[in-house]
Amino acid sequence: MSNAMTSGHRLDGGLIDRSTELSFRFDGKSLEGHGGDTLASALLANGVRLMGRSFKYHRPRGVLSAGAEEPNAIVALREGAFTEPNTRATTAELFDGLVARSQNRWPSLGFDVMAVNDVMSDFLTAGFYYKTFMWPAKFWEKIYEPIIRNAAGLGALSGISDPDCYDKGFLHCDLLIIGAGPTGLAAAMTAGRSGARVIIADEDFLLGGRLNAETIAVGDTSGAAWAAQMAGELASMPNVRLMTRTTVIGSFDHGIYGAVERVTDHLAAAPEGKARQVLWRIYSKRAILAAGSIERPIAFANNDRPGIMQAGAVRAYTNRWAVAAASDVAVFTNNDDGHRTAGDLAAKGVKVAAIIDTRADAPDHADAEVFAGACVTDSRGRLGLSKVRVRFADGSQRWIKCGALGVSGGWNPNVHLTCHQRGRPVWDETIAAFVPGAVGPVGLSSAGAASGMFSTAAALTSGAAAAVDALTDIGIKAKSMIAPKTEDAPSISRPFGTSMAGVGPGWTSRMTSP
Amino acid sequence: MIIDHPLLGPRDSAEFTYLGDASLIDRPDWQDKEAAGKFYEYQYLRDNPAGEHQELWYHEAGDRSWLVVTRDTVTHEITKVELARDVAKARGRSK
Repeated sequence: MSNAMTSGHRLDGGLIDRSTELSFRFDGKSLEGHGGDTLASALLANGVRLMGRSFKYHRPRGVLSAGAEEPNAIVALREGAFTEPNTRATTAELFDGLVARSQNRWPSLGFDVMAVNDVMSDFLTAGFYYKTFMWPAKFWEKIYEPIIRNAAGLGALSGISDPDCYDKGFLHCDLLIIGAGPTGLAAAMTAGRSGARVIIADEDFLLGGRLNAETIAVGDTSGAAWAAQMAGELASMPNVRLMTRTTVIGSFDHGIYGAVERVTDHLAAAPEGKARQVLWRIYSKRAILAAGSIERPIAFANNDRPGIMQAGAVRAYTNRWAVAAASDVAVFTNNDDGHRTAGDLAAKGVKVAAIIDTRADAPDHADAEVFAGACVTDSRGRLGLSKVRVRFADGSQRWIKCGALGVSGGWNPNVHLTCHQRGRPVWDETIAAFVPGAVGPVGLSSAGAASGMFSTAAALTSGAAAAVDALTDIGIKAKSMIAPKTEDAPSISRPFGTSMAGVGPGWTSRMTSP
Repeated sequence: MIIDHPLLGPRDSAEFTYLGDASLIDRPDWQDKEAAGKFYEYQYLRDNPAGEHQELWYHEAGDRSWLVVTRDTVTHEITKVELARDVAKARGRSK
């Protein structure tokens, strides 16, 4: 079955299984998705951009990212005692019969009474003290408190005890590889072939990381196909344990890592006696952080509207999930990566409204008009983006119509785990981002984008090299995997602060998360 | 943390209970003239170093041995693990 909206947003290709039809419900409405979809990609495919409300001003929010960094598309999954509030739609794997609800809105997501807070935002500022409402005293318990309690927070617990069971487990390895993107796969392949005991963990259900989201070729095949081939080979090695849907959550003393494996979260119901999630304690001799990076947004007024996304997320939805974020998409960027988004969209037949590039010397683009030295200063569209205001290099301003805006402010390495034991990241001027510092958890090294090397070629070579170094340290001889030829763009992004000119006071509170 | 037990090899610190400063081994002689002062020091005064520290760990969920662990309190790096009995003997105690 395909309804009109679905066909409008689904593109050709992608890594979804079109032969599998999955029906799910969002706020009571029946929708269809495919195998390989996340809740977020399936919602976008159905033309749903509005997925939540911000917690204080109840501003309409849509999906921002395509991964674990999602701050906006926070929903409640399942029903009754199985209700799980505050789940990121971007990491929730779609299954047949999934029931999802938006949160923090009343009476409905589209019309939310508490959105009056947004209009009143100049009075309800950050740090606003709700006890202002205490007087008169007898009003507090009966009137004010119930209303404020109801307005606070996002999702609500079911109030019933959790019927699922959970487990914990212990694992031992020579080398733990955190992240299974190009870096992690190259490291795992190198270490796996040496005979070392390897664990490679990734929070996604599909190995490959950004390779699945890009059109980058690796060797003479697509990045996604290469990742699948590597995953297949790793799975056949008895000394390698592949852990998908597993998030490494902490780095503890003496090479011990905590990890959460979501064993049955992607199933409609957990099989009898099967633990829903397992908390693993992984004892490793060495570990490699190959966790990749997160794209930075650029600050401008009203940059939180549904439809405004990371440019890399727009690309991920286009390439991996074959979903167009909108029928016409603009790109706002301060680096070449945004141009890649425009190219990928055009290749799939999505109209690129414009590329707004903050750099005065921005390169031209074959598929779209580039406004060099320009920036986005504002946006419109209450429940979903309709247009953005652009200030051009000559100082003039104009509104440009677009249903989605991909924003790229450069990439931040995911240094988090390197900060767990007194580690302090250091500032790298050339990529305008923090990279792992010299001191950090003993035995943990980083490679690829997590260490600030953003090209695919650097990911492969640094991943393999990190594995060789780590294994040499513990007396295991390893030969670096011969990396296939692939994209090797220089990683440079100039810092571009904000585009706040012409915006009145209070912009921060409207722009950021409350 | 992992404690490299001298007899059993590397064990998880969860198998152990922590007692405290290894100076507890050096119990003063109760017949000493200065016994009161020495017991006061023994009982109440402890160094609290940011760095190398010798401490007593009891392998409760294992072989029930007492260990003296030399650990850096800043980095948790363990440089030495000995049986408390050996340490006590080396310090001139009979057992």
